[in-house]
Amino acid sequence: MDGAPVNLDPAQASDLYTKFLVVNLYDTLYRYKYLARPYELEPNLAEDLPQVSPDGLLYTFRIKPGVRFIDDEAFPDGNGRLLQAEDFVYSIKRHFDPATRAQGAWLWQGRIVGLDEWKANGAHYDEEISGLRAVDDRTIQIQLIAPFPQLTHTLAQGFAAIVPREAVDYYGREFAIHPVGSGPFRLSRFDSAGASLLRNEDFRAEPFSLQEEGYNPITQGAFGLESLEGKILPLVDRVDIEFIAEDAARWTTFNAGQLDFIKVPVSQFDQVLKNRNPPQLVDELAGRYHLLTSLESGFVYTVFNMDDSRIGYHPDPDQAVRNRALRCAIIKAFDWKRRNEIFYSGLGKVFPGVIPPLTPEYDPGQDRNSVTRDVADAVSLLNNFGWNPENLPTLEYGLPSSVTERQMFEQFRSFMSAVGYPQEKIRPLTFATYGDYARAYINREVMLITSAWTMDYPDAENTVQLFFGPNATPGTNTANYNNAEFNRLYRASSSMQASPLRTAVFHKMNRIVIDDCVAISGISRTLVMLWNRNVAMLPDREFVGGYFFRFVGVTDTTDREH
Amino acid sequence: MNSAPLPPLDLRIATAMTSRVLSAPASRVWPRLRRDHAGLAGFGLVGLFGLIALGAALGLAGQDWSIASGGRWEPASTMHWFGTNVLGQDIFQRSIHSVRLAFEIGLIVALASTAIGTLTGALAGWHADSWADDAVVFVTGVLDSIPFYLFVAAVAFALKGNPWSMHIAMVATFWTTTSRLIRAEVMRLKQRDFVQAALAMGMPVSLVLSRHVVPNTIHILLAQAAIVFVAAIKSEVILSFLGLGVQNGVSWGLMLAESTQEVLAGQFNNLLAASIPLFLLLFGFNLMVDALQNALDPRQELG
Amino acid sequence: MLGYLLRKLLHSLLLILGVTLVSFALMVYFGPDQTYKLLGKSASTEHIQEIRQQLGYDRPFIRRYGEYLGDLFTLQLGASNSNGEAVSDILKRTLPVTLALLVPGFILGNVLGVALGLLAAWHRNRWIDRIISSASIAGMSTSFLIIIIVLQVVLCTPYGLNLFPARGWQVTGLASYLNYVTVPSLSLVLITLGYNTRFFRAIFLEESGREHIRAARAFGASPAQLMGRHVLKNSLPPLLTRVLFSIPLVIVSGSLLLETYFGIPGMGKITFDAITNGDQPVLKAVVGLTAIMFVMVQALAGMSYRLIDPRVS
Repeated sequence: MDGAPVNLDPAQASDLYTKFLVVNLYDTLYRYKYLARPYELEPNLAEDLPQVSPDGLLYTFRIKPGVRFIDDEAFPDGNGRLLQAEDFVYSIKRHFDPATRAQGAWLWQGRIVGLDEWKANGAHYDEEISGLRAVDDRTIQIQLIAPFPQLTHTLAQGFAAIVPREAVDYYGREFAIHPVGSGPFRLSRFDSAGASLLRNEDFRAEPFSLQEEGYNPITQGAFGLESLEGKILPLVDRVDIEFIAEDAARWTTFNAGQLDFIKVPVSQFDQVLKNRNPPQLVDELAGRYHLLTSLESGFVYTVFNMDDSRIGYHPDPDQAVRNRALRCAIIKAFDWKRRNEIFYSGLGKVFPGVIPPLTPEYDPGQDRNSVTRDVADAVSLLNNFGWNPENLPTLEYGLPSSVTERQMFEQFRSFMSAVGYPQEKIRPLTFATYGDYARAYINREVMLITSAWTMDYPDAENTVQLFFGPNATPGTNTANYNNAEFNRLYRASSSMQASPLRTAVFHKMNRIVIDDCVAISGISRTLVMLWNRNVAMLPDREFVGGYFFRFVGVTDTTDREH
Repeated sequence: MNSAPLPPLDLRIATAMTSRVLSAPASRVWPRLRRDHAGLAGFGLVGLFGLIALGAALGLAGQDWSIASGGRWEPASTMHWFGTNVLGQDIFQRSIHSVRLAFEIGLIVALASTAIGTLTGALAGWHADSWADDAVVFVTGVLDSIPFYLFVAAVAFALKGNPWSMHIAMVATFWTTTSRLIRAEVMRLKQRDFVQAALAMGMPVSLVLSRHVVPNTIHILLAQAAIVFVAAIKSEVILSFLGLGVQNGVSWGLMLAESTQEVLAGQFNNLLAASIPLFLLLFGFNLMVDALQNALDPRQELG
Repeated sequence: MLGYLLRKLLHSLLLILGVTLVSFALMVYFGPDQTYKLLGKSASTEHIQEIRQQLGYDRPFIRRYGEYLGDLFTLQLGASNSNGEAVSDILKRTLPVTLALLVPGFILGNVLGVALGLLAAWHRNRWIDRIISSASIAGMSTSFLIIIIVLQVVLCTPYGLNLFPARGWQVTGLASYLNYVTVPSLSLVLITLGYNTRFFRAIFLEESGREHIRAARAFGASPAQLMGRHVLKNSLPPLLTRVLFSIPLVIVSGSLLLETYFGIPGMGKITFDAITNGDQPVLKAVVGLTAIMFVMVQALAGMSYRLIDPRVS
């Protein structure tokens, strides 16, 4: 893996690497189908999709019978016990207990009846919550405050993994490195260098069904998946994962034959791919490895801090208009094509606005003015609105310290110099770690904020909420954008189920964001993955990565992962 | 005992061990230096780089280090002597600019740390065993007990993005060695006849220090300054690699950090353009320091 | 003598206090705020406040420092804020790795340095000496980073010999240990060899210039006897002191760079991570223990030097 999880507590499964491991060690009510594209929800621990009341406020779930937690000394006699509906309730309650330091509360905050009050009352676990109840051993009911169409999606998140109370009480803080779950694997090793997963012998015996998982023989036939039909999950006995964040080292290790699977670093794309369209491996690799290129479920973008009157909102309406022109000029001066070529090997997908290609609501026909470079246009914008090298504000571009980020900054600076922006007026604001950077932009100290957003579920609501006024920092709206019309449309759409009508509303919101020149947006990166031909799988890290491990089949006895 | 040039880590070891530094009369030093060919070569190298740095500072060379004028990873050509990096920036220009930055860092840190070290060392050495002396010795002891890179990382955070945080951190660590050496030498010199005579004649202490004592420590100062210069440049390389050093601009450390990602793609230009000049400059400095210390050691046979 | 020892002890304690104060102020008090790393994607002001309070950022300096000293001296090291692992467990896990990583290179670097230094001192000013001296100056003039990068390219990549793994530490037995420790050890040797040789050569030169050595040489003693018995033995005090002194420095700084570059889960790496993340319990433990180690080593070395070498006043 190109990164390492810090710990394995589902309450802290906010980054990709943690999610990867958490969904294999624990059970969630739902997951995504292994092979279906676009992504579809599939019951995991739940028996079926939920029963929803006509007003959309009451959800009922039934969980499968006979599911057990693994044996662990946290349990009274060392034997894992049956998983019950109450465990799910407990796991969600944990997110609202300050002692957990959970990171997932935002998914359900203000949505479930009684949950926020439970927290305010002192977070006592024995207290019942009216909107989150275990009706019996296998039935769960959730009562919402307002319709929340994405609720089921949130239950496929790593955050929604089900943990036993005994283990949390027994291990305390160390629970984070001592997982006790009911998932298809158990943990046999975990440190900063890597982790090993062993098959959980007590995992509920479910056979692999190609059809159920949405198999498409035309696009997926080459991966050898058909031979695995009918076998009991998980299909492999052991998975060894090495955490190698440095591209160079990861590639070298893979090349030395020590890894079966790798997400290829961008710097190697040229060496690995013979063609781009359609993607093909060079001959010496084609015989040994499978290749998969797929778009990420997220995007990289830069926002302007609208709270900063030098570039964003301004009490004087004329100045506000001038600021907008400046922002638009900067966006027009940005060369997405070159950015794509240099840093993503030309394989990224540039798109206008904030609804990325992997969402169902993506509009391929949208006009691409906002991502097409036009230096003349930018210059005229600056001139017409009275901007010149003397009165241009100093742009402070925030970045976490790393070689690539610094190079991206220098490239940004050179883009701007083409429209006459003085080099000394574009300054880097570097931070030693991402946490430090986050602190700064949460406190609104950064003028230009570049970040990547990974989507939590395949629904554009997850990306448009990035510009919803009330979500301003410390929420996810790092631009601190606040547009009344946008906010109104967002509120209207939030109770709508996915439909062409709602998609039209999203498109309208997208155009508002583009017109206001709030962000230089965006690009979805393409992942290139290679794996040994004796491993039959379709790897996937989108939305909630890692569910595919249980479907990995190998002709060797072990499988070593990127 | 001859105190050989040491890495930044070992500056403190050297001083703890050498409580006596020997000096030779000035009249014998200069001819010795002239005869030391290696030392002259070193001096020449340093001078050459110094001129380059000056030229860069005056705007004569290395100005276009941040302009993306070429394609990605172009090989060496007449237009780009070392080719271009991933953004299309001229690597040779970047290296020239790095010379200037290296001298900037080296000079500032060397001068500042030598100044502070001399002042505190003289104070402590003159008033040996007083509370001032104890205070200085205590502070040097404390600072020496904090691991260097941890200290610099911490200072970089505490100064939150101040462009001088790296310099300040380096000065704060490097002055202690000079201080110890000066202190020892001043303690020695204070016992010497000519100093005692001056005091007996009623010369004010400040004058004695500035006219008789400190000038006789110049040899230590010069050698230490050069050692600190080398240490500062080497530290900058590592710090920039770790992300704690130069933030805005280009330096050899940043070029090397870039190169670590590129060598896998078979791109060695950044590595070469940064390591070769860096090596030559440091080599020159070390030769110079060596020559200086050999010349100042009265027990060395001539030739 | 007893009075001297007591004074030294008091002095060391004061030093430890001073070091912990400075380190605490710098790294913990002014250090990075770990709150934001623990926040996740979306946070509320209330959430931020909760975490800050839990991590203790809202308490005054004196109180935090006092608690720190108390925890340190009762060895209550707590658990990491990042992943909940007990700090004592972290130390138990990482210290052996760091030692296993550094010891071979350290010993080899010093042994080779002594050997080359002896050789150079014996053939003083002749061509062997010149070669060794120039080579050591060259070694001192090469940035540590360059040595590491070049070694890695030459030994671990297809552009070179591709004999060893580029990084990692999957040590299960002697063979795998040798596999992973070779390149970092080689780097450590090359990094320190220039300095070591230079220093030892200087010591041996000084020693071999002495009257009794010249006399022994005049009497026809063989090189081996001279260098081995007389020079080496008499040089032991400064030699050993120097080696002793360099131990804490090599452990902390050497481990930091090598572990970060080669991805070895040792003390240097977790310390650095703790500093940049602001993980207070880990930081406090490492800072405190390093301070104690440094101060002790300095005190011991100073004392032993004084004891062994009567010439020093």
